[in-house]
Amino acid sequence: MVKIYVIDNGGQWTHREWRTLRDLDVETKIVPNTISLNDLLRENIDGLVLSGGAPRIGLEGSLGNCGEYLEKADFPILGICAGHHFMGRFFGGIVKPSKTPEFGKVELKILKQNRLFDGVPEISIVWESHNDEVAKLPRVFEILAESESCQIQAMKHRNKPIYGLQFHPEVEHTEFGEKIFNNYVKICGK
Amino acid sequence: MFNAERFIDETTARLKEGVSGKALIAFSGGVDSTVCAALVNKAIGKQLIAVHVDTGYMRKNESKNVKKLMEKMNLNYRFIDAKEEFYSALKGVVEPEKKRKIIGEKFIRVFENVAEDEKIEYLVQGTIAPDWIESGGGLRDTIKSHHNVGGLPEKMKLNLVEPLRDIYKDEVRKIARALHLPVSERQPFPGPGLAIRIIGEATPQRTELVREACDIVEKEIEAAVEKGLMEMPWQYFAVLLPIKSVGVQGDKRAYGNVICIRAVQSIDAMTCAYSKIPNEVIDKISIQITNTLKEKINRVVYDVTNKPPGTVEWE
Repeated sequence: MVKIYVIDNGGQWTHREWRTLRDLDVETKIVPNTISLNDLLRENIDGLVLSGGAPRIGLEGSLGNCGEYLEKADFPILGICAGHHFMGRFFGGIVKPSKTPEFGKVELKILKQNRLFDGVPEISIVWESHNDEVAKLPRVFEILAESESCQIQAMKHRNKPIYGLQFHPEVEHTEFGEKIFNNYVKICGK
Repeated sequence: MFNAERFIDETTARLKEGVSGKALIAFSGGVDSTVCAALVNKAIGKQLIAVHVDTGYMRKNESKNVKKLMEKMNLNYRFIDAKEEFYSALKGVVEPEKKRKIIGEKFIRVFENVAEDEKIEYLVQGTIAPDWIESGGGLRDTIKSHHNVGGLPEKMKLNLVEPLRDIYKDEVRKIARALHLPVSERQPFPGPGLAIRIIGEATPQRTELVREACDIVEKEIEAAVEKGLMEMPWQYFAVLLPIKSVGVQGDKRAYGNVICIRAVQSIDAMTCAYSKIPNEVIDKISIQITNTLKEKINRVVYDVTNKPPGTVEWE
């Protein structure tokens, strides 16, 4: 069984991430973002999801110990919304309030194929809920997907299995959300 | 994947161990509390007392039907008419969070009275995941205080038991089907009831208007689904808005209230898309509402907002 934990940054959909993983038969648990990397390593996890959180959480300050995981962990990490913002900022990018915030239904366009998007068509419907976005990509990242109002909908670290998503693959109305999660489980399971 | 049978077995076993003594369940007759009552009933039998409170903000005939359901399920039950108490507690209250908190506290006080009379130590609630997620706390923002979580008073004498805390409505429905409960497909109805479907003060008079309008929306949509004109929405109801508009009824100027129709599609209420109701159905609902409520309502609108940015209910 693949073991993926969800780091809780206070998102409305943290529990949905847990549920989606559980439905995919992943061994999973929601843990607070104050848990140390050592404690996570002791649990022998195969991967991590950094949840979203109340609007401004990715904009400034630290996000619990998320920085430590991003810096030192060698397992895959998937940052969603505020988790993705923090990731962008941590690796040297810039996060700003969105010119056009997106809430609800949005069309996602995949720009670069990646294992995370296996089986997801070039254009698909995703669900969003954000006031901020990664406005400038960190140098070590590449953009995987965009939407009309937001250039960085999905990004990946060039050398590590670290992914950031602006949209929410965990909610029911994201057309291929479960597929994306399933791909992430495969990435974690090797 | 979620396995209802396994959940039923594990939960009943856990309840048998964890609940020693008499317990009270807050029984609205919706899917969550009915499933919860069935599980706890399985575990501790007649030690469980189901309490249904008629708050005055129930849908048409609701409390009458709940009584029948409690009898059918062979529950040890108490029926409490607290209409006047709830109406007077909400007098002059307009702010949605305040409404929810007053209702949450009122519920608990009613339950505490029953508990004291009957020496009950446990309060069982059908709280499910979205209730505590949206109620916030810690890092999480408060979207709305669900009466059974954020609406709970800080000081409470009863021990809380919430067997469905980690699951969602679609999973609760699976359990309901496995237990052959007649409520498995019922649409959700919020604990604060019609009070949060009346924007502004929830007076008894305004409650009558929204009760009638909700009944019309339910009947017309159910009939349309039956005829195959549309798919069954997750939730469908009417909201009474706090504004008036000018109209003409029978060659006379009218200045009446506005009803908003709300219907959404979802599996777990965490995200929703507004239902695409066919025009002919919207037409029927609109005419039915204005013809039935006459000078009281002279305008009907349809809410076309998804969640996010909206929520299902308006308050």
